[in-house]
Amino acid sequence: MQQSLIQALGIIDCSILKRVGKDQFEVLHSNTDWFSELLPESKGKTEFTFSNESAYLQDFLVDAEEFWQIGNAGQIQSGIWSEQTHERVLRLEAIAAVANGERFLVISNLQQEYERQQKTLQVARELLLSNDKILAQHEYVHERLDSLLNETQSLQDMQAPIQQAIDNANFGVMIVDSSLKPVNQNPMAFELFELSPQDASKHPLDIVLTLFEKQFPEFDRVFATASHWNGEIFWHKPPHTSKWLQLAVYPVLDEHKSVKHWLFIVSDITRLKYLLQTNEKLTLYDGITNLPNRQFFWQTLEQKIKANKPLYVLYLDVKHFKRVNELYGHLAGDEILVQIASRLTPLLGQDDLLARVGGDEFAIIFSQAESPSDCKELASRLISSIEIPFFTDNQQKCLVGLNIGAAHFPRDASNAEDLMKFADLAVYEAKKRAKSTIKFYSLELKEASRKRLELEAALREAIENNQFELFLQPMLDLDTGSVIKAEALIRWHLPGGGIACPDDFIPVAEQSGLIVPIGKWVIARACEMLSILQQHHNTLKLSVNLSPRQVSDRYLFDFIQSAVELSEINPNLLELELTEGVLVDNYDKVQLLLDEVRNLGISVSIDDFGTGYSSLSYLKNLPIDHLKIDRSFVQDLDTDENDKAIVLAVIAMAHSLKLGVIAEGVETEQQREFLKLNHCDTAQGYLFSKPIPFDEFCEKLDSKKNTDW
Amino acid sequence: MIQKKVCLLGATGVGKTSLVKQFVEGIFSEKYLTSIGVKVDKRIVDLASEQVQLMLWDIEGIDRYCGFQPKYLRGASAYIIVTDQTRSQSLIEGLEIHHQCREVTDVPAILAINKSDLDVAWHWSENELNGYSQEFEKCFTTSAKTGQQVNSMFEFIAELLYY
Ligand SMILES: Nc1nc2c(ncn2[C@@H]2O[C@H](COP(=O)(O)OP(=O)(O)OP(=O)(O)O)[C@@H](O)[C@H]2O)c(=O)[nH]1
Ligand SMILES: [Mg+2]
Repeated sequence: MQQSLIQALGIIDCSILKRVGKDQFEVLHSNTDWFSELLPESKGKTEFTFSNESAYLQDFLVDAEEFWQIGNAGQIQSGIWSEQTHERVLRLEAIAAVANGERFLVISNLQQEYERQQKTLQVARELLLSNDKILAQHEYVHERLDSLLNETQSLQDMQAPIQQAIDNANFGVMIVDSSLKPVNQNPMAFELFELSPQDASKHPLDIVLTLFEKQFPEFDRVFATASHWNGEIFWHKPPHTSKWLQLAVYPVLDEHKSVKHWLFIVSDITRLKYLLQTNEKLTLYDGITNLPNRQFFWQTLEQKIKANKPLYVLYLDVKHFKRVNELYGHLAGDEILVQIASRLTPLLGQDDLLARVGGDEFAIIFSQAESPSDCKELASRLISSIEIPFFTDNQQKCLVGLNIGAAHFPRDASNAEDLMKFADLAVYEAKKRAKSTIKFYSLELKEASRKRLELEAALREAIENNQFELFLQPMLDLDTGSVIKAEALIRWHLPGGGIACPDDFIPVAEQSGLIVPIGKWVIARACEMLSILQQHHNTLKLSVNLSPRQVSDRYLFDFIQSAVELSEINPNLLELELTEGVLVDNYDKVQLLLDEVRNLGISVSIDDFGTGYSSLSYLKNLPIDHLKIDRSFVQDLDTDENDKAIVLAVIAMAHSLKLGVIAEGVETEQQREFLKLNHCDTAQGYLFSKPIPFDEFCEKLDSKKNTDW
Repeated sequence: MIQKKVCLLGATGVGKTSLVKQFVEGIFSEKYLTSIGVKVDKRIVDLASEQVQLMLWDIEGIDRYCGFQPKYLRGASAYIIVTDQTRSQSLIEGLEIHHQCREVTDVPAILAINKSDLDVAWHWSENELNGYSQEFEKCFTTSAKTGQQVNSMFEFIAELLYY
């Protein structure tokens, strides 16, 4: 190689060596300046033997040697390293190459590249660290206050050390009651907004609420649905003051899942933002995925709206992402985000924009839709791409899903803010489905969401004012015809009169988490009933239903145990009913729970059997006592051959697994006959009795002497 | 004289470079300059009758910008997982890195809880910390600033590797 040519071109600052033997090199080209500092043994020679002075290079030569031995054309790189010579620190990278059958070692001086990389990474990493610290502080204060506010009735009881910690915190803490009236605002909260605690005319809280409402369309939704929120708000006080603030909003719930307090935590991140602004790449792009960030997204959305071209805004929320972070750590979480971004990007057209707008939230401006069905089609492609399993660096498998909310410009809204607000509302609607799905914003959706909120509020009142009642529906032994069990079914006495059935309100209770307190009430009430029943009918069992959300509540077992003890009933008389779906979705939790209840002596039946996808192995491995054949199969038993076959199969399978079989929804004599003939053990349905109030049930039980309803 | 390779690993900004600087040159700087790639420093440790040369591999902080590279562990006789007691997340990340290392090597691992001169700002209880330390050969509470436990940590490692 022409030394003069390389120098003349001055492309890179490198030295080129040819391998002539193990650890022996011929110098083809060298930048004498640093090369002899790095390898003094080469000084004044054209051929030299490597002396192992540089530990990093020595290590790389192991790989290089292997590569040279194989001898295929190509190259491998050492990765950048720093070498301390007598005079200075060199930033280097080595490349081992094979070309035309010859073996080369190229060492480049990457001083400039190093400085450039370091400059960018320096900013990025300082940001990362400060952000990490702020978020950790917020989380910590939240956790402590949460448990504290839950334990004590009023803030007056707040322990001195915590009060002191809040007073001395270097970030603003505001505790407000459920109607957003301030209860406690620490000195830093005032200081951040240059207010004085003595001046009662203006509170930091007012400012925060105003900014939050103005700058984030999800404001109403956060409060209406008692959601946690985290984001950055901008405060400007004329003429010269402006600050960027990191705001975290947390609802503090009581045991009835009602909001008792709200906690606001605010930190000044102006310096971080300033750092960011020195680096445009970091201002408009998200550091993890390299996608445009929220700011970029808003700018683009506003431009497109100005241009007056129809478009859809899609708001994407990654399902179960929190679980990935919890199970595998943040690094793995970040990695999955990157993979998600790279799967979504190719599905979009040139005119579309994909951005990362929040922790596990993405947003898309979709410009080429002619009709909602185009949008639906895109959504289903997005969802399918995300539902393929992800793998972390160390090959752990993660499954996530996608909730998508869509709003259309100009049909649904004419400005960016409303569009985002409506898409957010739609995604919130989509979140309630167990499966990944897309929801379009519509007036009906708005109406439905308003109705749901009302229903939720009414349910909260119902819990507090005890508006529930348990009805019982008897189950009969098909052989003897006597009542051996009853299912407890909840009814809600509406304040305006009338009774609501579970189907009307349990879904909302389930979504809002209110099912947990309601479910506890059911269990406690059922135990009470049993303690009365067992005085006369000491073998009659009661079964109660458990919902998916209840099963996820880790205190459920403790509660059941204490309810059984408190009412002094025989645990053998209590039965829990779970649907097949719960088994499949929550297998590990369910297994633990069922093992525990089994130890206590409580029995378990699987509800709606045949409608889900539980595999045989679940049934074999879980401590289950009965299967309940879903009413949909029983209904058409007289006419539908398929249903007949299914029912027979379930009975046969259950018996081979030594499980009992209960048929629900039995309405005709023929059905009863068929079931009895085919050895179904137990039956329940209108043929015998509809669900009736407890007193009526007891009366009937006594008058009929427990035979033949 | 025998030579031993020891890697310093951990999240960004926990003080890997500072620990090496304190040990090798006896100096500390408040200014944070993030590392790119690897830098190897050497120092001879005098044991009772012998000397060991430690080759300290200061490796770029592992975070979203730079992943874990198992190849750097090749030939290492021990590694140190450095954490920062002012940053909770650094322990979680440190443990994660430790587990990744365990997939490629079973040489002794040391836990360094650094920045001991600053107030503790993580919320791990004694119990939790003791639990985590169990996964390591030994745990040191260090300060690259005051030098607390810095020499003793490296001397412990030299001794451990020599005998
Ligand atoms: N007070 C105090 N500061 C420290 C200590 N160790 C490191 N620092 C500071 O923490 C910052 C980061 O230190 P570095 O040694 O560069 O951290 P690092 O782990 O090498 O960081 P990366 O190379 O980016 O991964 C610097 O500002 C140091 O001054 C310590 O023991 N006490
Ligand atoms: Mg460093």
